[in-house]
Amino acid sequence: MSRAQRILVLSGVLLLAITMAFGVGYAIFDEHQTLVGMGEQMAGGFMAAADGDMAAAFVAFDNFGAMGAEYSLEIHSHGHWGMLALILIILGLLIERTGLSEARAVALAWLLALSAILFPLGVILQIGPAATLGKALAVPASAGMVLGLLIAAWCLAKNRT
Amino acid sequence: MLTQVTAAISEHTAPLASDTQRVLAIGGILLIASGMLFGDIFAMFALHPNNARIGAAMYTAAGLIPTGDVDGILAQFMAIGGFLEFRGTKVDTHSHIIHMGYIALLLAMLQPWVALSPRVRHRTAWLFILCAALMPPAIFAIHYVGLAYSPLQDIGWASIFADLFGALLALATVINLYGLWRHVGGRGDGGGTPTYINAVGSGAGRAASRILLVGGLLLLVSGFLYGAGLALYHQFNSAPTEVDILKSIVTAAAAGDRAALDAAFGAFGNFQMLRAINVASHTHINEMGILLLLVSFVQAFVQYPEATRKRWAKLAVVGAFGLPAGILLEIPYGIVGSVIADSAGFLVIVSLMAMLFGLLRYTGASDAGTGGVA
Repeated sequence: MSRAQRILVLSGVLLLAITMAFGVGYAIFDEHQTLVGMGEQMAGGFMAAADGDMAAAFVAFDNFGAMGAEYSLEIHSHGHWGMLALILIILGLLIERTGLSEARAVALAWLLALSAILFPLGVILQIGPAATLGKALAVPASAGMVLGLLIAAWCLAKNRT
Repeated sequence: MLTQVTAAISEHTAPLASDTQRVLAIGGILLIASGMLFGDIFAMFALHPNNARIGAAMYTAAGLIPTGDVDGILAQFMAIGGFLEFRGTKVDTHSHIIHMGYIALLLAMLQPWVALSPRVRHRTAWLFILCAALMPPAIFAIHYVGLAYSPLQDIGWASIFADLFGALLALATVINLYGLWRHVGGRGDGGGTPTYINAVGSGAGRAASRILLVGGLLLLVSGFLYGAGLALYHQFNSAPTEVDILKSIVTAAAAGDRAALDAAFGAFGNFQMLRAINVASHTHINEMGILLLLVSFVQAFVQYPEATRKRWAKLAVVGAFGLPAGILLEIPYGIVGSVIADSAGFLVIVSLMAMLFGLLRYTGASDAGTGGVA
C-alpha cells in the first residue's frame, strides 16, 4: 500500500466503523425519542389551535421545527459519513491510476480524508452550543471534498494508462 | 487451507480468488440488486399512496380545529405517526440494504490487504453478509412489530434486533480495519494495489470498465455539486419554512377560511414534495456513481464477449443517469418522472444481475480449471 492509499483506505474504513457505531447508538438513544417528540409537538400544535390557544400552537410548531432541524442534521451526518467513507476507499483503490506523484497523491489523500471526516462533524456540531464552529468546519470541509473529488476525477480522466 | 500470504497473493490477481472474496462480492451484488428492487417496488406501490394518506389525515385534522375536537385531531395524528413510520422504515430498509452491499463489495476488494488468517477473514465475511442480510428485514419489521412484548418504553424487538445486527456489522468492519492496520504495520505480504484494479485500463474488460469509470465519476462530481447547491439554496432562500406553513394552516383553519386553508395545504404539499425530491436526487446521484465505480473494478472478470460486456456497462450507465433524472422530472411531470425513474432503476438491476451472472461464469470456469480472465 502506498502512503496515499494508507491514508484513504484506513480513514475510510475507520469512518465506516465510526458511522456504524454512531448509527446504532443514535437509533437506541435518540432517534425514536426525537421522532415521538416531533409527532407530539405537531399534534400538540393542532390541539392547542383547536382549544383556541394560538400562541401555544405556535410554540409547539417552533419546537417541532427545532427538533426536525436537529433530526435532519443527525441523519445527514450519519449518511454523509457513510457515503464519504465509501468514496475514500474507492479513491484509495484508484489513487495510483491518477498518475500523481507520491507527494501530490499524499496531499490529495489528506485533503479528501480530512474533508470527509470534518464535513459531517461540522454538520452535527451545528446542534447545540458549538453551532458557529460547526458551520466554520462544514463549509470549508465540503468545499475541500468537492475540490478533492474534482482533482481526482480530472486526473483519472486524463491519465488513460 | 491457504496460508495468509498465499491467499493474499492470489487475491491480488483476481477479485474472486478466495472464498472470502466470493462471499463478500457475490453477497454484496445480491444485496445491492435486492435493495434496488425493493426501492422500485416501494416507490411504485407504497410511497405515493402513503404520502396521499398523510396529507388527507392532516387535512382532516385541520378541519377539526374550528370544532374544537381535540380527540379527533389526536386520532388523526396517531394515524399520521403510523404512516410516517411506514414510510421511514421502508426508506431505511432500502438505503441500508444498498449501503451494506457497497461496503461488502469494497471489503472484498480490500481483502488482499487484510492481514489476518484466511479462516478469520472468512468467518468475518460471513458475519458481515449475514448481518447485512438480516438487518434490513429487522428494520422493515419495526412498523409491524411495534412495541409488542418489548422490555423498553420506546424501542420494540425489531429495533433491538436491527441495532444488534448493526453493532455486529460495525464489529466485522473493525476486524477488517484491524487487519488493514496489521498490513500497514508490515504483517501482510506487502503487496500493492490488486492487479485487476490497476489493469482496468488495459486488456479484457477495458472498454466496459472505462465506460463505467467515467460515468461513475461524472455522477459523483454532479452529486457533490448538487448537494453543495442545495445547501447554498437552503442557506439563502427566503421561501416560507415548514413551520411557517404549519402556522398558516392552523390560523386559516381556526378562522374557518377554507380558501386560505387549501392554499396553505397546497404550499405544504409542494414543500414536502420539493424536499423529498431534492434529497432523493442528491442521494441517488451519489449512490449510482459509487455503484458504477465499484462494478468498473471487476469488468475483466465478467465472462462475456467484449461487445456484451460493453452493452451491459452502457445500460448500467444509462440507468444510473436515468434514475436521478427521473426523480427530478417528477417536479414538472409527476407520474411520468416516476415511471422514468422506476424504469431506469430496473435497467440498473438487470445490468447488475447480468454482470453477476458473468462473474459466476468466471468463477465456475476458474474452479473447473478451464477458465481464467475472460
